[in-house]
Amino acid sequence: MGVEEPKRRTASKAEFVIEAIDIVKRFGHVQALAGASLQVRPGEVLALVGDNGAGKSTLAKIICGALAPDAGRLVFWGETTAVTSIRHAQELGVETVYQDLALAPDLSVAENMFLGREPIARGLLGSWTAALDRRKMRQAAQEAIRAAGITTLNSVDRSVRDLSGGQRQAIAVARAVMWATTAILMDEPTAALGTKQTDIVYESIRSAAARGLAVVVISHDIPKMLTLADRIAVMRQGRTISNAPARDLTLTDVVTVMLGGRPKGEAA
Amino acid sequence: MTEAAQPTPGAAAEPGRFAAAVRSTPVGMAVIVIALIVIFGVLSPNGAFFRISNLSTITLNVAVTMLLAVGITFVLAAGELDLSIGSNLVLSSVIAAKVLVAVSGTHEQVSAGEYPNLALGIVAGTIAAVLAATLFGLINGLLVTRLRITSFIVTLGTMGIGTGLAYVVSNGVNVPNVPRVLQTDFGVQKLFGIAPYPMIVVLIISGVLWYVLRATRFGLQTLAIGSSREAAERAGIRSSRHVLILFILMGSLAGAAAMLDLTRFATTNIGGHQTTALAAIAAVVIGGTSLFGGRATIAGSMVASLIPVILGTGLVILGVPSFYQLIVVGAILIAAVFIDQRRRERLSS
Repeated sequence: MGVEEPKRRTASKAEFVIEAIDIVKRFGHVQALAGASLQVRPGEVLALVGDNGAGKSTLAKIICGALAPDAGRLVFWGETTAVTSIRHAQELGVETVYQDLALAPDLSVAENMFLGREPIARGLLGSWTAALDRRKMRQAAQEAIRAAGITTLNSVDRSVRDLSGGQRQAIAVARAVMWATTAILMDEPTAALGTKQTDIVYESIRSAAARGLAVVVISHDIPKMLTLADRIAVMRQGRTISNAPARDLTLTDVVTVMLGGRPKGEAA
Repeated sequence: MTEAAQPTPGAAAEPGRFAAAVRSTPVGMAVIVIALIVIFGVLSPNGAFFRISNLSTITLNVAVTMLLAVGITFVLAAGELDLSIGSNLVLSSVIAAKVLVAVSGTHEQVSAGEYPNLALGIVAGTIAAVLAATLFGLINGLLVTRLRITSFIVTLGTMGIGTGLAYVVSNGVNVPNVPRVLQTDFGVQKLFGIAPYPMIVVLIISGVLWYVLRATRFGLQTLAIGSSREAAERAGIRSSRHVLILFILMGSLAGAAAMLDLTRFATTNIGGHQTTALAAIAAVVIGGTSLFGGRATIAGSMVASLIPVILGTGLVILGVPSFYQLIVVGAILIAAVFIDQRRRERLSS
């Protein structure tokens, strides 16, 4: 577990790790998604960009099981799957780095990294009474943090409340990388970070992709996405307007589509 | 990405562990308790406070509050509150007494002080106390988690409902004919003449719950929910289900406390325990558990629950009216919450 190589479904011949097809989601009278689609391949970094309210975060929340779609379907490794909960998505190997990081501030770094999946030592009366395997938690957390290049943290026993914003962000990313076996969804993973810490996160993204994980990054930093991502999907008004290789796009192309223009190469 | 010669994460934790333990709230509370015992012992006439019988009585008097404090520690740890534990205790003790007396013999027999089925009656009464109190806790939990009403309001409401039901069930009078043997053979009995039986029961239950909070998944997830419910849910923890279990646990402990109360006094106390919930919550907060969730210590709650009783007993022995303890405990509570808030602000900044 943890920092070992992800257990990918090598038997699957599906081209895409995740496909979201014609996803619809309403919140009361607000149509957040109106047929959004997304495909991501193993080892690919897909940047999901769009203006505020375009539906990026809603789409990510549906893929990670935090929200249920009103219509449309999700396909994991070629199989249509109704993701029923965050836990279910985690079982499918999908991890998420939320914009607010989703860390419990009073818990230690190691406890946060294992929250919901704590290893236990053998107990006489089953898992309810079994003691946490804290040694294993510490060791795996240390290993994951070291692999993520976090060098400013001197102890995984430190409470998250004591960490800087950058350190917290790095921990959230390291946790996702540690557990993901299929894909990582990242919602504005560098929003609160300085230049050096941002570079570390981007390096983590490339490193996760190099290990065969699909990475979906929601970001407003389009210039950076053009260099980091393999493909860029642009969303507007709840729909995916374009999905093209990043190398074929310029900043102007992306912004044009975001603002309502036609995708590059599409006839007028 | 890695840099050479970096400190190993985790390495720094080991040397500081002893120092951290010494600085912890439970240890601080234990120092205060010992200091109070020494002060009252020295000041009391003929060292009356130091007598084993006095110290033993203090532990007997604190047993019920300590058990409730241990339970409420879990509830507070998850960022919830239960103000209804006192009325739950009263209601379940009334139900327990009714069942115990009814099963122990006929009306004529128990009126004459004869209890032919006493053992069965005690078992039935104990089961009734725990079941009734657990049901009370379940209702609290369902209202909090299903109707999404804050636990403060829910338990404020059920506090009144519980007290009212206790009056309804008992017709406004304490249940008569509770066997005295409950008190003489258990409620005030002491192991080796030192350790009261009720306190032994409380220590065993508290020990188990200390382990659960400190060492198990359930304990860690309780703290996680209190620290950030959203983070816990996004980690796949079903927080509503967890909170429901916590209210059920609290209810069952109130049931156990009801039975201990019944054995201590050999009567119900339908007009009592109106401030028991606040006393238990005060002890928990003074002991170092955060009123805002995420941080909790069973040991701190246990030690801190001794303070009001020691103060009360000590002041009485010194001839000071015991109601001064209310002032002192109130002041300590405010100070403890203030210190907790300042600590959080400092850590967040």
